[in-house]
Amino acid sequence: MTVTPETVSSTAPALRKRRPPEPAAGTRRRSLRPTLTGWSFILPNFLGFALLTLVPMVFGLALSFMEWSPWGDPEWVGFENFERMFRSSTFWIALWNTTYYAAGHIPLTIVVSLGLALLLNRTLSGLGFFRTAFFLPYVTSLVAVAVVWNMLFNPTSGPVNQFLQFVGVTDPPGWTSSTAWAMPAVIVASVWRDMGYYMVLFLAGLQTIPTELYEAARVDGANAWQRFRNITLPGLRPTTFFVLIMCTVASFKVFDLIVVMTDGGPGRATKVLSQLIYEEGIREGRFGLASAISLVLFVLVAGFTVLQFVIQRHREDR
Amino acid sequence: MKRYPSALAAIAAASAVALAGCSSPASETVDPSAPVTLTVSAWNLDKTPEFNALFEAFEAAHPNVTIQPVEILADDYPEKVATMLAGGDTTDVLTMKNVIDYARYANRGQLLDLTDFVGGLEKDKIAGLEPFDIDGKYAAVPYRQDFWVLYYNKKLFDEAGLPYPDHLTWAQYSELAKKLTSGTTPDGQKVYGTYHHIWRSVVQATAAAQTGGDQLSGDYEFFSDQYALALDLQNAGAALDWGTAKTQKVNYRSMFETGQTAMLPMGTWYIAGIKAAIEGGTSSVEWGMAPMPQISSGGETATFGSPTAFAVNEKAKNVEVAKEFIRFATGEEGAKVLAGIGVVPAYGSDAVTAAFTALPADELSRTTFTENKKVVLEMPVSDVTSDIDTILNEEHELIMAGQKSIADGIRDAGDRVKNEVL
Repeated sequence: MTVTPETVSSTAPALRKRRPPEPAAGTRRRSLRPTLTGWSFILPNFLGFALLTLVPMVFGLALSFMEWSPWGDPEWVGFENFERMFRSSTFWIALWNTTYYAAGHIPLTIVVSLGLALLLNRTLSGLGFFRTAFFLPYVTSLVAVAVVWNMLFNPTSGPVNQFLQFVGVTDPPGWTSSTAWAMPAVIVASVWRDMGYYMVLFLAGLQTIPTELYEAARVDGANAWQRFRNITLPGLRPTTFFVLIMCTVASFKVFDLIVVMTDGGPGRATKVLSQLIYEEGIREGRFGLASAISLVLFVLVAGFTVLQFVIQRHREDR
Repeated sequence: MKRYPSALAAIAAASAVALAGCSSPASETVDPSAPVTLTVSAWNLDKTPEFNALFEAFEAAHPNVTIQPVEILADDYPEKVATMLAGGDTTDVLTMKNVIDYARYANRGQLLDLTDFVGGLEKDKIAGLEPFDIDGKYAAVPYRQDFWVLYYNKKLFDEAGLPYPDHLTWAQYSELAKKLTSGTTPDGQKVYGTYHHIWRSVVQATAAAQTGGDQLSGDYEFFSDQYALALDLQNAGAALDWGTAKTQKVNYRSMFETGQTAMLPMGTWYIAGIKAAIEGGTSSVEWGMAPMPQISSGGETATFGSPTAFAVNEKAKNVEVAKEFIRFATGEEGAKVLAGIGVVPAYGSDAVTAAFTALPADELSRTTFTENKKVVLEMPVSDVTSDIDTILNEEHELIMAGQKSIADGIRDAGDRVKNEVL
């Protein structure tokens, strides 16, 4: 059975209808009812999660110790998949590339989207237009984004290199056809695409900071940097934390943009773990090996996320 | 086994697919005239006219059969079919776009064993059957047998006052390409002497066919000269550089059909493409066909090629009709249909040759088509073919993009193949 968003949303009103109009009498029933109601709200979603996420995850874990493809019987092979993975030079390159991408994409996205949010968090006419304009890349088809950026990065006739030549760069890079510049090019395109989404989150966060604080600071003679440093940043901490987690998870799982823009090339210069998982699993039919690689990716993402939670808690405790 | 109503069976099949493992029961055709819908996987139907031509001819001969093409984008074809099969797809006939993918599917047991069926065909008349032989077993039959030739734009040669590229050596080809690079098309595009598409085969399979090198060996010295030639043309500006072609996803067809290149090494499948483009009014290119340039002059023409074949899905629903379709498409009747639209059929006979009318009338094009030549398989088939293909592709990209020297790329490709695959 599959739980689609439709089935989830259609059960919710039905449950609500079943609830009696007035509060029930009796202490026992009163304490049990909210619990049951709560569970009934969670259940459809949880069923979907369990069936579509939890079970495949556990299954994937087991699969990484098996040699199995859907057209043969599974065979327990112990750590063979992991040995093969660690021996493969492509795995190490993909691991490095994934880290490289995340290390570029996460800070840049946060800085750019926070900057945009600060710029657009004022009362100016035409603000709605700009907010929409910056959000648009996020709702644009990813393939279109990749194609347009490939055109911009065209080594010979692309506007990027034409501009670079105009300002005096005699030998501009080949971008997506250069092993050194392909990853930066992908990072730039992905930051451009994601900045609108995180900007909206930051904008929402900025709205929660009371304006009185700024007025008081102004009265006390704090300059713009001091106000940003001592009011905005601390006030945004919960938002920043959320953005950091979301951005980290998304960065480590990057797949589509890279596949369309560079297909992991030139050579293996932009091949990332999720693409390797796809290639080994779907194209070569080595599900066990693909599961082993996805386990590494999972540990990587989970590790970084937990680390961020720990740092956050440590900060709150101070 | 108990029979379920069809809706229930469909749900059961779907969940079986979700759990991956069960094969759906193949239903037998009881009544030969009962209506049957045969599903056939195909790519880019509008640009690959052979599919519709074969489908229509087969439907005309078998009024009870309706063919439903499963259309897939050509570039995504191997991955898409692999994904479909992994998910338990039941498309009846699967088109094998190349032998490498065929080996993958067949080795995984995803294709129906056709050994007995092939035994009943006129084997000696079907060219390109041997690559489909895996340990004495067949799981596909070729309907098309392509080989690589050199296409050229007659008008651009005439304007430059140069003779047509008749049995060239690579040195002569390179010199010609440089001479033909000049001017612009009416749209203001640069005209290149030649266009090398981004595929590694353009360099590597050509080298293998003409030097006798083995692409599965791990020793790739024999690629050297062909890479030197390709890079020299690119650096001289006589061929569009690889980086641009790759990042802009340049289509070799539009390069040739809009007169942006004077020459184009490409497979014979493109004959039908040009014919269709000219008939459809999208191109007015005056074209001719010459043999692939050779390392030295005077010898037998050596080129590479690959057959395209039909196979039956292991989970096909209409096995008998699927076999009938393959018998038709790979036999004389299908061959005539293919020849009629300019596609080179695998099945050869005088009647088929007579039906092949898509070639330009000149002597050189005729010779190119009919002369005796050595056609080497594009890539040898084995269980390591696909892993080696991946490595060769990656190193090819690096050499062509100028990210590695020829020597380094060849050495690294060899090292990786020897250490990680062989």
